[in-house]
Order: sequence, then structure tokens, then C-alpha cells
Amino acid sequence: MSFLTDIGHVLLTADLWRAALEAAVLLLLPALGGVISERSGVVNIAMEGMMLTGAFFAVVADLAWQNPWLGALIGILAGGLMALIHAVVSIRFRADQIVSGIAINIFAAGLTLFLVQRIYGLQDVGHVGQSSLLPYINIPLVDQIPFLGRVLFQQNVVVYAAIILLVLVQIVLFRTRLGLRIRAVGEHPQAADTAGINVYAIRYGAVITSGLLSGLAGAFLAIGISNTFVPNMTDGRGYIALAAMIFGKWRPLGAFVACLIFGLGQAIYDANSVIHVSQYLLSMLPYILTLVVLAGVVGRSIPPAADGLPYAPENE
Amino acid sequence: MAASSATLGKTPGPRLPSGLRRVAGGFAVPVGSVAFAFIIGAVIVVVTGGDPFKAYAGLLCGGFGLACANGENSALQISTTIVFLTPLLMAGVAVALPFRAGLFNIGAEGQFLAGAVACTIIGVKFSSLPAPILLPMVLLGGMVAGAIWAGVPGVLKATVGAHEVVTTIMLNYVAQWLIRYLIVGGPLQLPHGFSASPPIGVGARLPSFLPNDNTLIIFGLPAGVYRVHTGLIIAIAALALFAVLLWRTALGYEIRAVGQSQKAARYAGINVSRTIIVTMVIAGAFAGLAGAIQIAGVDHNLTDKYFNDTTGFDAIAVALLGLGSAVGILFASILFGALHAGGSVMQADAGISSSLVQVLQALILFSIAANFLRVLRVRFPTFGRRPQAPAPETAGATLMTESAKAPPSEST
Repeated sequence: MSFLTDIGHVLLTADLWRAALEAAVLLLLPALGGVISERSGVVNIAMEGMMLTGAFFAVVADLAWQNPWLGALIGILAGGLMALIHAVVSIRFRADQIVSGIAINIFAAGLTLFLVQRIYGLQDVGHVGQSSLLPYINIPLVDQIPFLGRVLFQQNVVVYAAIILLVLVQIVLFRTRLGLRIRAVGEHPQAADTAGINVYAIRYGAVITSGLLSGLAGAFLAIGISNTFVPNMTDGRGYIALAAMIFGKWRPLGAFVACLIFGLGQAIYDANSVIHVSQYLLSMLPYILTLVVLAGVVGRSIPPAADGLPYAPENE
Repeated sequence: MAASSATLGKTPGPRLPSGLRRVAGGFAVPVGSVAFAFIIGAVIVVVTGGDPFKAYAGLLCGGFGLACANGENSALQISTTIVFLTPLLMAGVAVALPFRAGLFNIGAEGQFLAGAVACTIIGVKFSSLPAPILLPMVLLGGMVAGAIWAGVPGVLKATVGAHEVVTTIMLNYVAQWLIRYLIVGGPLQLPHGFSASPPIGVGARLPSFLPNDNTLIIFGLPAGVYRVHTGLIIAIAALALFAVLLWRTALGYEIRAVGQSQKAARYAGINVSRTIIVTMVIAGAFAGLAGAIQIAGVDHNLTDKYFNDTTGFDAIAVALLGLGSAVGILFASILFGALHAGGSVMQADAGISSSLVQVLQALILFSIAANFLRVLRVRFPTFGRRPQAPAPETAGATLMTESAKAPPSEST
């Protein structure tokens, strides 16, 4: 049982928890996007592709203008644009949302690789300079608190933004009229339509928001954590976010808890030099845990009633 | 709208017999989707400063050995296409069969990898056994592994209603990480630090059609370079088996009944849960067989190439483009095999990244899913058949079960 004591040892370091929170945020942003999209009734398995697109365009813009904020903005918009395709195909054309999601993921992987070659030829994409990365910000005073200060208040600016977004999404979804409308559209679009809610507008908005959030996550990955773009650099994180969304039962806070668990796994994986468990076996954990949840071992996880059903008004 | 097509129906002129017309109608959607993808793909190439004609000439040369600009060997290109399409035939079935039961198997990739892993483990551990024993062992092992990988989602779907799309996605990643675990520093790794397993025993290998004899020259190249292997025969047999299973057996009838309406199937006395599980298990066996054949026929060991394998995802496109029928899967596999083989020639000859193939594949999926053609037809009623009834209300597999009853069905 030596590896358990090793893990126990690592768990006591602030750096591990700091890394865990960072990894969790990377998953949280697309997971929040997934929650919003699916709550409105549009299945979204395309966070992976939207994230990858965001990562690519954030790097391209950052390299061109040497400005991380502009890079992040372009990354966010690129993610949103991918989501717009998903929205048009699955809402306007009432396509199968799963097929559309798979297509987005393949499209993003192919397009970014294609553009890397068109723009940069056979060379590397190039590295973003230290000064052009999304900055880490220490919050004065509280960052000096032992342990907690290091974990919570010496983080990347995106981490703070993500925590604010988490609270915001949770409140909007369950405490405001807009949130009620989103959930109504996802549970019973016909009734919502009859009540005068514009089903299409809500769904377009929700899907595009999911793309913006995923794009931000991609930008964070590319010009916050790494400093370059590598083909397929998201490496399944969009799918782990999907798992977190289900694990969290389509609730923002629940998804956050799942992201923390998965993020902790990622951090332990990264600290692998101290732990003698195969990092590859650890990488399976998010997926296996999600299967366990889906199997009903830890209570049922039930999607919104109209999730995945295209909406066609009666009179059309 | 209705009036215009009614008058069209009365206009005299050359009319195809209804059977032929139905076949032509069946081809309209897939062919139109491919055309759509190639047009948008050309736009993307032009916008990024490339020459789409050169790009597509490269694809045509690499895929079918036609119009080659740089003296590529046509026979070799065709052989490469066949090698690429062989696993797609079986993996395509692994997606298409569950479609018929109203299930969306996104996990063909994981099942394919599980089959490859099982084949490698058995082929390495028992490498000294002779072919008549070992070859069936590795192929069966691959099928069982794939069946387990798909059976878990099947059981979860049938018992607790867990959505198979999500569970199969999760298992895809479990399989991917399993391979990394096994061959990067794990129990299956070759000594001396390669990301590869030892080769499987000679008895576990599927023979090529041509002998590996460099003195034998065929179409200007030594026979050994043509890698078309006997797995192709198994793949085509699997495709035929799929058609028979679906249209000529009681199980196939039950699968289609469950796909049309679970409620109706239940009233008719069909055990829906059992049918769902059996369908997934059979589908997984097909995908696992594809993985085993890829190891036994082509690669002979697990390598880091399998980290980035996309066979199971291509299979989704194959099944959709083939409208879930055996003949359709055959044509779609040829197309995607040719695209994959053509990508590298396009990259070499036209300087266009082979990842354009992925872009084209995604565009085909968008087009099939959204059925842009149907929308076009609404606007131009002369284009083809009359627009169909309203879009299906349920998601997913209705693509296959409701809107496209692919091969002319004798058994209904």
C-alpha cells in the first residue's frame, strides 16, 4: 500500500490543490457551457471541438498582436462561431444533434490542423512570449494566508473569471426569469412556446453561450497554461467536461464538484513523479467514475426531458 | 407546393420504373451530401490560398490511382485504398446495426481498440501456436473484447436507461488510455523503450493475397508492397452476414421493430431489453473483429499509431452515408478508404494538408444530418422526390429507422 501513503503525502501540498483547481477550471468552463446548452434542450457533445478551435485562434491572434486579452477574445469568439454552426444545423435544420456534435469535433480537429499547415507551413506554430500570456494574479493580502492563499488566490485570471461565471450561471439558471425560460424550453418546448417564449431564440443563445465558454477554456489552455498550439491539444478535455456535466446532474455546482474531482485526478497525474501508479490508469478515472454514476450506483442522473429533440412548431 | 408537384407528376416524358426511381432516390441524399462537402471543401481551400483542382486531383490519384501527376503507381494506390477500407466495412456495421435498433453506437472506436488489444495480447502470449489454432483464437478474442466493450453500454441502457451515446464515449477513452498504459511502460511494451508491443506470432497473422516475394514484380512493383490481405474476405462476409441478419432472421426483425417503436415492439411480445443488449453485443463483436483484423492483417503489433486511430469515428460517417444498408456501407467505405489513402498523395502533390480529409468528412456528416437536400427540395420541387413528412421528432437513430429504409425490403 505504499502508493496510498505517497498519495497521502502529495495531497498535503498546496501546489497540488492549486494545480487541481486550475485543471478543474479548464473543465468547468466547457461543462458550464454544456449545462446551459442541454438545459435548453440541445445536446452538446461538441465542447471538445469548440475548445480546440478557441485554443487555435487564441494563439494565432496572440502571436499576431502580442496581446493576450485580444487573443482570449478571438478564442472565445471562435468557439462561439463553432457553436453557431452546431446551432444552425441542429436548431434551424433540426438535424440529429449527436451527429452534428461529432461533426463539429471532427471539423475542428481537421480545420485547425489544416490551418496550422496553411499559416505556418511545416514549422511549429511558434511560442507565445511570457508577456503575452494570460497573467497569473496574486490577490493582495489574502494570498498570504497559509495554504489557502496559495491554492485560491495565486491563480490565473481565468480561474477567477470561471468562479464568477459559475456563480452567475447557477443564479441565472435557477433564480431568474431567463433561467426559468431556458429550463422550460429544455423540458417542454411546446408549453414554453404556448406561453410566449421564443424557443429558437433561447436555444440559439444557449448553444452559442456554450461555445463562448468552451472557447475561453481553449484560450486558457493555449495562452494561459501552455504557450503554444499543438494539434489536438485539448486531448479529450471537452469529453471529460461532458462527463462532469452528467456527473453533476446537469447543475452548475454539481458539475463544479465533478470538475474538482477530475481536476484532482489530473493534478495527481501531473505530480506522478512522486506516485508510483500508472498515469494512464489514472487518466481512465473520470470516464469510469462517470460510468459508475450513470449505472445508478450514486443516484440517477437524468437529463432534461426535451434534451436532444429538435423543436418544430405545430403549425409548420 | 403540393399543387406544383402534383402537376409535375402528370407531365408526360421519360419516366423511370418505380423501382429504379427508388434506388436513384436512395442515392440522391448521400451523393448530394458528398457533393456539398466537396464544394464547401473547395471554398475552404480557395480561401486559404490553395488550388482545389490540384487538391482533388491528388485525392483522386491517391484514392483510385486516376489522373496521377507525379507518376504514382495506380495499382499501389488502389491497394492502399482497399487496406484502408477493410476495417471500415466491419466498423460501419458496428454503427449501422444499433442504428436499426434505435441505438447510437459512438463507441465503435473503443470496441475497435479493445479488439486490437485482445488480438495483440493473445497473439503475443501464444505466439508459438500454429495458424489453424492461433488465427481463430486472435479473431475470436478480438470479437469477444469488442462485444464486452459494447455490451456494458447495452446492459446499462437496457437496465437503468443510461444513454448509450454517453457511455460509449466514456468507454472510447477508457480503451485509448488502456492502450497507452499497455504499451508505454506497461506490461505489453517492447523492451528498450519503444511505444509499441512485441509483434504477434506468425501464426496469428492474416496472409496477404500476394506473397511477400521481392523477385515477383506486379504492376511494376515487388509483390510485397501490396498489402491487401485476406481480412478483406472476412470483412465482405461480415457485411453479407449483417444484411442476412437484419433482413432474413427473427432477431433482425426484432431489432428493426425495436428501432421503429419500443412500445409497439413490447406489445408484440418482443423482449426489448434483451434485444438492446444482444444488438450492442453483436455490434461490438463486429468492431472488435475489425480491430483484430487490423492487427492480424496489417500492423502485426500495437503501436502509438493507435493513439490517434479514427476508424470507429469514420465508421459513424460510413454508416450514416451508407444509410445503414450493407450496399451503402460498401460504397461509403470505398469513399472513405479512398479519401484516407488520397490524403497523403494530396499533401505530397498539391501541398494541401491531408487534414482536409477530416474537414470533408465533417462536412459530409453535417450535410447528412441536416439533410440540406431536403431543404433544397422544398425550394426547388423539381429536384427530386416530394419532400417527406415533417422531420422526425425523436433524435438519434431515427435517421436510419424512420426516414431511410435503405435496401428494398423483401421481409416486411
